[in-house]
Amino acid sequence: MLYVAKRIAISLVLVWVVATVVFLALHMVPGDPAEVLLSTGGTSPDPYAVAELRERLGLDRPIMVQYGEFIARLARGDLGTSLVDDYPVAEEILLRLPRTLELILAGTLIAVSIALPAATYAAVHAGGAFDRAASAVAAILQALPVFVLGTLLILVLAQWLRWMPAGGYVPFAQDPGRHLLLLLLPAVAVAKGLAATVFRMARAAVLEQLSRDHVRTARAKGLTPRRVVRRHVVRNAMIPVTTVLGLQMGTLLGGTVLVEFVFNWPGLSTPLLRAVETRDYPMVVGIVLTVSGLFLLINLAMDLLYAVLDPRIARS
Amino acid sequence: MQVKRLILPGAMVAFIVLLALLAPVLPLPDPVRQDVANRLAAWLPGSPLGRDEFGRDILSRIIWGARASLAVAFASAAIACLVGTTLGLLAGWFRGLAEFFAVRTADVVLCFPPILLALLVVTLLGPGTATLILVLSILYLPGFVRVTYAEVLSARGQDYVEAVRALGAPTPRILSRTVLPNIAGPVLVQFSLAVAAAVVVESGLSFLGLGVVPPTPSWGLMIRGARATMEQAPTYLLYPCLALTVTILAMNMLCDALRDAVDRKGGTRAPKLRAVDRILPGLFPTREPAPLLEVQGLTVDIATPGGAIRPVEDVSFAVRAGETLAIVGESGSGKSITATAVMGLLPPVAQVTAGVARFEGRDLLDLPEEERRRLRGGAIAMVFQDPMSSLNPVHRVGDQVAEAIRAHRDVSAAAASQEAVELLKRVGIADPERRARAYPHELSGGMRQRVMIAMAIANRPRLLIADEPTTALDVTVQAGILDLLAQLRRETGMGVVLITHSLGVVAETADEVVVMYAAQVVERGTVAEVFARPLHPYTRALLAAVPEGDAEPEGIPGVVPRPDAWPPGCRFAPRCSFATPICERPQVLEQAGERLVRCIRWKDLA
Amino acid sequence: MALVVAENVEKSFAPRGVFARGKPVRAVASVDAQVARGEALGVVGESGSGKSTLGRLLLGLLDVTGGRVRFDGADLPKPGSAAWKTLRARMGIVFQDPFGSLDPRRSVGAQVGDGLAIHRGGAEPARIAALFERVGLDPLRMGAFPHEFSGGQRQRLGIARALATDPDFLVADEPVSALDVSIQAQVVKLLADLRRDLGLAMLFISHDLPVVRHLCDRVAVMYLGRVMEEGPVREVFARPLHPYTRALLSATPMLDPAKRATRILLPGDPPSPSDPPSGCVFRTRCSFAQAACAETVPALRAFGGPGQRVACIRAEEIS
Ligand SMILES: Nc1ncnc2c1ncn2[C@@H]1O[C@H](COP(=O)(O)OP(=O)(O)OP(=O)(O)O)[C@@H](O)[C@H]1O
Ligand code: SF4
Ligand code: SF4
Ligand SMILES: [Mg+2]
Repeated sequence: MLYVAKRIAISLVLVWVVATVVFLALHMVPGDPAEVLLSTGGTSPDPYAVAELRERLGLDRPIMVQYGEFIARLARGDLGTSLVDDYPVAEEILLRLPRTLELILAGTLIAVSIALPAATYAAVHAGGAFDRAASAVAAILQALPVFVLGTLLILVLAQWLRWMPAGGYVPFAQDPGRHLLLLLLPAVAVAKGLAATVFRMARAAVLEQLSRDHVRTARAKGLTPRRVVRRHVVRNAMIPVTTVLGLQMGTLLGGTVLVEFVFNWPGLSTPLLRAVETRDYPMVVGIVLTVSGLFLLINLAMDLLYAVLDPRIARS
Repeated sequence: MQVKRLILPGAMVAFIVLLALLAPVLPLPDPVRQDVANRLAAWLPGSPLGRDEFGRDILSRIIWGARASLAVAFASAAIACLVGTTLGLLAGWFRGLAEFFAVRTADVVLCFPPILLALLVVTLLGPGTATLILVLSILYLPGFVRVTYAEVLSARGQDYVEAVRALGAPTPRILSRTVLPNIAGPVLVQFSLAVAAAVVVESGLSFLGLGVVPPTPSWGLMIRGARATMEQAPTYLLYPCLALTVTILAMNMLCDALRDAVDRKGGTRAPKLRAVDRILPGLFPTREPAPLLEVQGLTVDIATPGGAIRPVEDVSFAVRAGETLAIVGESGSGKSITATAVMGLLPPVAQVTAGVARFEGRDLLDLPEEERRRLRGGAIAMVFQDPMSSLNPVHRVGDQVAEAIRAHRDVSAAAASQEAVELLKRVGIADPERRARAYPHELSGGMRQRVMIAMAIANRPRLLIADEPTTALDVTVQAGILDLLAQLRRETGMGVVLITHSLGVVAETADEVVVMYAAQVVERGTVAEVFARPLHPYTRALLAAVPEGDAEPEGIPGVVPRPDAWPPGCRFAPRCSFATPICERPQVLEQAGERLVRCIRWKDLA
Repeated sequence: MALVVAENVEKSFAPRGVFARGKPVRAVASVDAQVARGEALGVVGESGSGKSTLGRLLLGLLDVTGGRVRFDGADLPKPGSAAWKTLRARMGIVFQDPFGSLDPRRSVGAQVGDGLAIHRGGAEPARIAALFERVGLDPLRMGAFPHEFSGGQRQRLGIARALATDPDFLVADEPVSALDVSIQAQVVKLLADLRRDLGLAMLFISHDLPVVRHLCDRVAVMYLGRVMEEGPVREVFARPLHPYTRALLSATPMLDPAKRATRILLPGDPPSPSDPPSGCVFRTRCSFAQAACAETVPALRAFGGPGQRVACIRAEEIS
């Protein structure tokens, strides 16, 4: 219990640290932040626009006041309004976030449900044909950037074979079948990196467990090979895998931005990329904070799972 | 072998880097010169890969693109490496404030998903190469800090670092002579990982239009451009995709090979599980009165990279019910392999090449795997040396004992748990109900070994093989375990094979003893006789080395020969003080009254 | 006066980290010890009884959290200070693990010469060769790397490294525990010779009582960070007075049936050093324990043969 409380407390502190870093980032940029945001290349921006932006972002007040207000607004869930169209950032995020989450969830499910069994089988039959084939596939997948895979999937499956739509989005309520069809390719693209990494990690972990003394003990007890693998190998091998899974989610979240762009999936990346281009700072901050918060949450969940899997953690 | 794995990816990466470096001097068309007339041409003289949507030469753009990517990747990895390694060194060595600062900074960076952090910075600073380098070096900083920090901490814990510190070496000397060489490998691996990852992130950002600024060629930008026209000109899309993927693949392979080469553990090849069982034989052979276990001429070969070695050769012994047979010998004499071979738990590299091991009349070495499995943990049980690693850390000890019961008997889970508690009580664990629910790390070493014994006796074995069951334990704990084993043997009448290198333990617990040296049995007989009147010079020397009584203990000069270089004649000859030229031929095990001894001179020496 | 004198030393390790909780672990609690020039003091006890920590405190590699250590009449300087660094030349340490105690990446000659390079301004090959010969190794192998040596040879290398600066005081932390008996005897003999020839003061940490009996003049028996009994080896081994010493001696397996005592089995497990029992720390496993044993920590007091001291309130009745 204490472990859980401690983990949650640490996560909260990290959320606060992330918010602070994001706040400070604007002020750490050399020069006047408002001027920096408005400058395009060499030309210096219109002084009136700078003054106006400075006032809008509250940059004219003392930094501690700004910081206090920033944190207070965050705590209320107020992320400010877009510089471009005055639309509340939080509302934009609330609209988009579920779609991104859906993609992440589908991708993770695909990745884990393929990679884990494949890795176990490959490791138990290490050196066999399946192991060599699967390891080669994993290595190639790992080297294929998500956006390359996504683009190639569209080229082959949508443009050449015309089996799949090239991308887009239809709400589930409107047409469930088409929604899932449209979800499939982006989810596969999101899954790829995770699947490759999980496969490699899990394979190594299972191999490592197979050589452990306690596996020898299990065999000396006369357990069947199937039971030895299930209870004394896979269970133990999952412990290092969960840690990697948590850390990998960062890459996965980043990859999702690219995948959404490639497949025109209207998740968080659409407003994010537009905001980066138009230098709509409040929008970028809002989305970065949301996704980082999500990342921390996933890692918290992984830590808790880790404690369930490994009794040495929580109970010592 | 591991170095060989570096060659192919190393050559590929070197080739790509060289191309990128040589881009300005290669006879390539200008990568930014537009030629709208030849837009999307698939092939043109001087443009083997064709032209892009502005009629620019694709081959030239790919090579110049490599230059852009790699410049960004190497620059950022180098910055991250320099700063990160320094921080990590300071943090690991000085701990305190430096540690807090460096490790926490790394933690904060790790809170952001990489691309998101990059986008935040791009918003602030605008896209461009300088921004990219800054972002990427921030992203990979934590990796270097952590690797260096962890390595320094582990190096600090090494005795050899403590030894230099105890000599009063100044800190810079310790860091540069002792710590840096040890972290150089992992840092190199981290560097290659960072370069590979940087190439990926750079191309991704450029693909989004937020990395390298056009018209500078970059693979990500090329793919972005080709997407719009991929139906008309699919090859234009494929070339940069291929270039990018092959580069990353080569870098990843190089990283893996480097990591394996640097990893001090070396490539640990884990054993495969045994092939699935052969078909059951029809009938059991008829039983005849015989010793419980009779091993004859057991020989084991192990395939090693340098050729086959024979760590166990022509080993014979017999154990009767209710009796303890001890196997003693120095490290590497083949004791454990003998036991593992009898249990059928040899790793796949090891093969029994000759001999029989008759257990109650049946040859264990000739049984199908399924039948051996039924004997293991049933009629024959085994206890291992290190009770911590031999128990599974993630299951409760009661469950692990119950599992042994259910592997052999068809009882309900509840009944098995109940019986497990009884067994724990039987092996002298106080408060067995509560202890059954404990995990191995919550028990002391002695208690863990008691759990191992409970597991072993769960199915009333008729033979117990114990491989150094007390070596990892303190003497007072050892006394308790040996007492327990003796008591169980008396009560159940099981036979015990006790492997140990402690002659005192043999003297106190065993009836018969087998002395092994360099894979062979050199003497065999009852403990009382062998210890009172050792016949083999090795047995004598071993006994004389024990510090007991007032005589000065005498060491045996030299060391046990390695299994790939057994001496040709008597294997003990190089260390034997009685060796003569006749000892240069191989020795056979001779009968010496009730005893067996492998020494041509035993009669002269007796 | 003895070369090394520990007065009432104590060492607690606080749990590390910002979120760490739990009590500090008291590895060594009010220990008095003395080692004179040319004398070997054996320290025996189970794993976790604080033997190695005591060794490092006497060397000044760890800072005491209570009491003080005097070396050659002066208090030990703070670890890391300039005075501390010069003092290093006068002390040496030999480790248990023959594999971890040598840097796998440096030649053994360079490692043996480290002390000379640090304190004597350079390691001439002739000096190193002499050290190799002193510990029974072939000086021609100076350029070899640790993995080319066997366990016993590595221990010799470790000893040579410790001897490079002609120290006055040597701490040997279980130097033979990882070795086979046949090799163990060689290394013990080497240490005995060195002590005799060089007049070293030596602290010999071991859990092997017969080895201590052979090599040492005096022995201190530790349990849970405290000294239970101390005295000349002959006295202590022939007439152990403390119940723990008796149990320890009776548990040591003996070759000679005539020497075997009836085993005294200790019930239960050793308590955790972060939560030691009140009064006599041994009382939870002592068959002579009484209510009074829980009240005060028994002082180490002279009792029994000459020079023998014991920390048990019931020593008179038991003997
Ligand atoms: N998997 C393996 N590959 C190569 N050599 C091996 C392997 N396993 C064991 N050996 C070698 O076989 C020999 C006998 O090993 P074994 O473990 O049986 O010795 P032991 O008598 O039990 O020693 P110890 O007292 O150290 O336990 C040793 O030289 C060892 O190095
Ligand atoms: S055969 Fe010769 S060398 Fe071998 S043990 Fe006998 S006397 Fe020694
Ligand atoms: S003081 Fe009491 S508990 Fe301690 S050893 Fe003596 S009799 Fe036993
Ligand atoms: Mg062994």
